[in-house]
Amino acid sequence: MRAEVWHSIKHTFGFKRLFWRIFLTFWLASLLVMTATGYVLVSKYTSDEYNQRYFNGVISQAERIVWRYEQDLASGNVPKGKIKDWMNQNVRRRSELIPMSISDNTGRTIYHFRMNKVPQRDRTVKLIYGLSELPYRVETRLPETPRIYKQVLYRFQSLQFVLIFIASALVSALLSWGIVRPINYLGAFSRRYANQQEVATPPKAIMARGDELGDLAADISFMVNKTHQAATTQQQLLHDVSHELRAPLARLQASAAIIEQHTPESRHVKQIHNDCLRMDALIQQILDYSKLEKGTPVPEDCDINALCERIADDMAVNYLGIPLNIECDPNVAISGYEEALHQALENIIGNACKYSAKGELVEVTTKKQHNTVIITVRDHGPGVDSDEIEKLLQPFYRAGNQMHTSGFGLGLSIAKKAIEKHGGTLRMSSPVDGGLKVEMLLPVNQKSTS
Amino acid sequence: MENEKYKILLVDDDAELCALLSEFLQTDGFAVETLNSGDAAIARLLQSDEFDTVVLDIMMPGMSGLDVLRNVRAKKQTPILMLTGRGDDIDRILGLEMGADDYLAKPCNPRELGARIRAIIRRTQNGNAPTQAVVHAELHGIVLDSGARTALVDNTPLPLTGAEFNALSLLMERVGQTITKQEMTEEVLNRPLEAYDRAMDVHVSRIRQKLSAAGINDVIKSVRGVGYQMLTVPSSSASSGSAHSTPSDQEQ
Repeated sequence: MRAEVWHSIKHTFGFKRLFWRIFLTFWLASLLVMTATGYVLVSKYTSDEYNQRYFNGVISQAERIVWRYEQDLASGNVPKGKIKDWMNQNVRRRSELIPMSISDNTGRTIYHFRMNKVPQRDRTVKLIYGLSELPYRVETRLPETPRIYKQVLYRFQSLQFVLIFIASALVSALLSWGIVRPINYLGAFSRRYANQQEVATPPKAIMARGDELGDLAADISFMVNKTHQAATTQQQLLHDVSHELRAPLARLQASAAIIEQHTPESRHVKQIHNDCLRMDALIQQILDYSKLEKGTPVPEDCDINALCERIADDMAVNYLGIPLNIECDPNVAISGYEEALHQALENIIGNACKYSAKGELVEVTTKKQHNTVIITVRDHGPGVDSDEIEKLLQPFYRAGNQMHTSGFGLGLSIAKKAIEKHGGTLRMSSPVDGGLKVEMLLPVNQKSTS
Repeated sequence: MENEKYKILLVDDDAELCALLSEFLQTDGFAVETLNSGDAAIARLLQSDEFDTVVLDIMMPGMSGLDVLRNVRAKKQTPILMLTGRGDDIDRILGLEMGADDYLAKPCNPRELGARIRAIIRRTQNGNAPTQAVVHAELHGIVLDSGARTALVDNTPLPLTGAEFNALSLLMERVGQTITKQEMTEEVLNRPLEAYDRAMDVHVSRIRQKLSAAGINDVIKSVRGVGYQMLTVPSSSASSGSAHSTPSDQEQ
């Protein structure tokens, strides 16, 4: 039970689902657009502001140095290096000192701090005026490019951004759901048709959408109707033809019998009789096959064991000298279609008997496992090559391509179809000790399969 | 059979087939009359007792063979052989339950049809002729009079058909023994057992139902894959729900 729920969750929300792909694409796209826009805006703003702040700092430091220099000049002592000490005392950290060199209008350097290593192309020059109104040349390095992403990230760690994040996720999810939901519905719709052959029209809400999905719904509805029509026509044709073939066949047989009365011991009449029987059996199989395709009746309770025993009785008459052993689990009643099951079992047990030599045991076992009933039919005949097993289930195929042995190769197709009608599976295998093993797995409850 | 001409009524909507079968059966020594519709068959059968056997096609448009069977059986015991579709198990069982004497799948070999007709005639004519020794058997409160071909329970006659009477008397004659389906079919229906042959099962099932209606339960046991047995002591463990069981029931 829990495994089923988990499976359905995985199915609905698995990573490969279109829902997630659309959701993630939209979400990432919207986040990317918003981030990029934000980045451009913030970076422009930030770098302008940074440059401004840098040069303000340069000028204010230079002005203080020039002020001090002019004071010293006025008092007469101009000791070199004194300004640097003074500046050191006036800032909180040495790192606050900006590298620059200042020279007066005569070209004499009055202040120099860490400019030796700065290459020429990274230098820039500003002119400032001291209190004496003399111009001073301040040479400094260009501002470094600031680490903008840090700044941007810093700005994005805000509540607004979290809100944007959630809102864009919600919008993407809604959008994605809106696309995926009608697709899922249409999938379920066509699955329902395939399983139950019941023709319905998709609800108006989807049909009237007017978009591509609405068109798709209309197309699917159209296809279902067409398919149903074609299938019904084919069924009817097959059924009618088979029925109509029987009347001339009966007349043919009667005529042959009359000829036989006049010329007994005629080899040819015997041939006609044999072929009539073969044709009749083929018509019967085609009718059985087409009957299985027809609409699904209401499932009824089927006693698998009684069915097996009844068929075993028939086989005892049909195939004398082939021992048939039935091993029953008493608890294998299922809800299903008795006629279809009868056909399936009869064909499979009949095959087992047909390909067994006298005295070779045919074993039939029924067993219940969880919600599945397993019917196993095992013979000890010549068996089938493993590469031929798959082909056996195709209509009109016979093992070893023996075209003229009895049978038409429809039996197993009928069985497979009948089992599939119950939502079950048919498995065939060649056991190592020879023979053929056919397993029919049938769900106990019919209704859970749709 | 050659010296006496038995009269057969052949009812089938396919006129050509009727003509062919009629030719065949006439050559085979029967007097044959054919009809092509159910209505005509009912009218003919209700006003005449001259037919020794009726061969009745089940699948006819309009009034089907089963309708004919129901209408005729309500008033007459004329032996009836049904022609059924090969896959129609339900039609066969229904037909036998409505009192048809036997069935044959159609299309069939006319020789087989002739043999079946003879089996039915042999059976029904034998019943009327006092050739068998008169046996009075009594078991489980069932009194069997093979002379009058009646079975009484509490002095009330059981409404048994010919085949059912034969089957019951065979089972009672050999009480305690398991009789195979092959043997029962040969003894009761005068013909060999075939594959997919439900006739015996239907007859036994009908006998069970009728006995059950008369208050006698669980005296006939099914032996899986073999046949049937009249028990010396009714099995108390088995359920009495077999009254409405299908002919295929194998309650073991």
